[in-house]
Amino acid sequence: MNVLKGLRNIALGAAVALTIGAAAPAVAADSLTMWVRASGANAAQHLVDLWNSGHDQKIALTVIPDNQMVTKLATGVQAGEVPDVISFDLIYMPDFMRAGFLTDITDQMKGDANLAKVAPAYTKLATYKDRLYGTGFTPDVSILIYNKDLFKKAGLDPNKPPTTLDQIHEYAKKIHALGPDIYGFYFSGACPGCNIFTTSPMMVASGAHMLPASADEEPLDGSGVKEVLQLFRDMWTEGLVPKSAQADNGSNFVANFKTGKIGIQGAGGFLISDLKKDVPDMDFGVTFLPGIKEGQASAFVGGDVVAIPKGSKHADVALQFIKWELTDEAQLEGLAKNNILPSRTDLADNKYFKSEPRVVTTAKALGLGYVPWVFHFNDMVNSDSSPWIEMIQAAVFDGKVDEAIATAKQKMKAIASD
Amino acid sequence: MSRAPAHSPPAAAERSLAVAGLRTRSVADQGLLRVASGPARGRTRYLVGALSLAVVTLMLFPIVVSFLSSIKTPAEAAASPPGYLPSVLSIDNYLKVYQYQAGLPTYLFNSLAVAFFTIIFCLVLAVPAGYGLACFRIRAKEALFLVLLSGLMVPYQALLTPLYLMFTGLHLANTHIGLAVVHTILQLPFSVYLMRNSFEAVPRELEEAAVVDGCNSLQALWKIFLPAVRPAMVTVILFAFITSWNEFIGALIFMNKETQFTIPIMLVGVRQGHFGAIDWGALQAGVMIAIFPCLLIYLLLQKYYVSGFLSGALK
Repeated sequence: MNVLKGLRNIALGAAVALTIGAAAPAVAADSLTMWVRASGANAAQHLVDLWNSGHDQKIALTVIPDNQMVTKLATGVQAGEVPDVISFDLIYMPDFMRAGFLTDITDQMKGDANLAKVAPAYTKLATYKDRLYGTGFTPDVSILIYNKDLFKKAGLDPNKPPTTLDQIHEYAKKIHALGPDIYGFYFSGACPGCNIFTTSPMMVASGAHMLPASADEEPLDGSGVKEVLQLFRDMWTEGLVPKSAQADNGSNFVANFKTGKIGIQGAGGFLISDLKKDVPDMDFGVTFLPGIKEGQASAFVGGDVVAIPKGSKHADVALQFIKWELTDEAQLEGLAKNNILPSRTDLADNKYFKSEPRVVTTAKALGLGYVPWVFHFNDMVNSDSSPWIEMIQAAVFDGKVDEAIATAKQKMKAIASD
Repeated sequence: MSRAPAHSPPAAAERSLAVAGLRTRSVADQGLLRVASGPARGRTRYLVGALSLAVVTLMLFPIVVSFLSSIKTPAEAAASPPGYLPSVLSIDNYLKVYQYQAGLPTYLFNSLAVAFFTIIFCLVLAVPAGYGLACFRIRAKEALFLVLLSGLMVPYQALLTPLYLMFTGLHLANTHIGLAVVHTILQLPFSVYLMRNSFEAVPRELEEAAVVDGCNSLQALWKIFLPAVRPAMVTVILFAFITSWNEFIGALIFMNKETQFTIPIMLVGVRQGHFGAIDWGALQAGVMIAIFPCLLIYLLLQKYYVSGFLSGALK
């Protein structure tokens, strides 16, 4: 019958195609494999390319979608199918170290002079029971970004960004007064990760302690938590924030700012090169995320760490790669040259950043930033129904600030006691 | 899947011809014959036309919007609120998708290879299984069938880790065949169900006629049943292809290298920005590229998919 003949032809064709395809050149057999999460892939690619250009043992990068990295590594470790070296969201470090997924590199890194110069947040996070399991790789850090064009139009000094929470509120009002579709402030109301990155540093700057490392610690401790939530609530009810913020799960974390209709928002250092590429005409400034009082500032140190999974087949070369990525060459030629922050704080002021003082601000934020050393970060913060995002939504959009904080505290304690 | 009613004389005639192995007509042809058969049908024709147009518009709208976004510049595609028409045409989004990591041809090849094996496995397993369950006396047949169907009821995410461990032991992880086996597992209950129902719909008289002519069971399967159930086989092929083509989490877990990843993993990677920010332009370009093979295979197979000859076989 026709269909059977047709099927046979398709099958034959496909079989031929497969045979040809199978003969296509594969990655060199002795190359190392490295997994990297998608949002760190760009920076990692620069480093890997630089390494490959000067070393015999090449590294082949495999990009894993951000949300699947934990599942992927966990199943890989169980099956003994792990990459030789891995880079992932630094926040999972405590969980991975405790689970025994990573190789202890304390002794091998002992004599390394560059290790001491790495932003302290990374070393702290990669340490478990006094043993070191990794180091900083491709950093990112949160900052406050503001649209200088809108500042000028609203009669504000474009060189004086807000330095307190009250000023953010005041400036946002003036900017919103420019027109009904111009908004003073933006945040992604349904994105847990965006808010721990950009909103929590305002709380920390105001003296709050955020997440508990154990059940005995009080989560969300300090008046800063309430002050920040109340500020967001007020800006929301006054219409200074676009309505779409409530449902934004991060898809439009930075898209709105690019339209030039947002005055101020918390973002990451990555946005500087994004904006220069996508909206080259926009005049924008960056500053530290402020607290209640003048002089208070903080940041969330994000980005990726690098480590060697247990079971790595080329652990020795992987270690060489880790040592190499902390050298001046890798930090400057691999990262800074491409407008990416180096993880060593001593290189914050470098020849490549001279023409871009905004990147220097982010490099400095890396030094003053915080990162929570906690287990179950995913359950406490990053998951879509975490106590963290539920608190923000109940407080900002429903106005139940005190209740929201109390509920979140209780849930976080329960998670921490696991 | 729709069928022309059996009482429509031209269609029935066509089907009788088809039994003799001549040819079948598609439903579209039959529809044209019917509406053209009388002027009284004119109004109905316009009504049906308008209705079809409305449905087509509804179905095409997302694809058209995707296409329009995909040819915008990346910045314009990300604009909020979005505009409908691109102000300048740009292929930047397609270039980004094409050049992403291992390169689009690699991902296309992987996806096609896995889908191909999935289709083969599904047919090779589901056709005999359906035949057996429909046409033979088997003890505890219904219980057996239920066990097969129960595969539909287990959320397969729960099976992934144990499967992966097992496949690693069998050296099936990181291979196209291994992933195709996983996709076959997903698709098999539905395929067997479909094939069984389809075999059951074949009139016994046809089989008896074949036996009288001296066919054994295998010959009857090949000469009588397979041509009769080919719409079901085509359905199995289509669904196996679409399942395998779109499947994400299994492909991610079972493949460990960029050069082995399939299209869905590439699509998630290429659109990913910081904190879940989405590169809309690249996403839409990826969507356009990913739906193309699905459309192609559907168009190639649709004439087999919509036509059957059994309703008129015994007239």
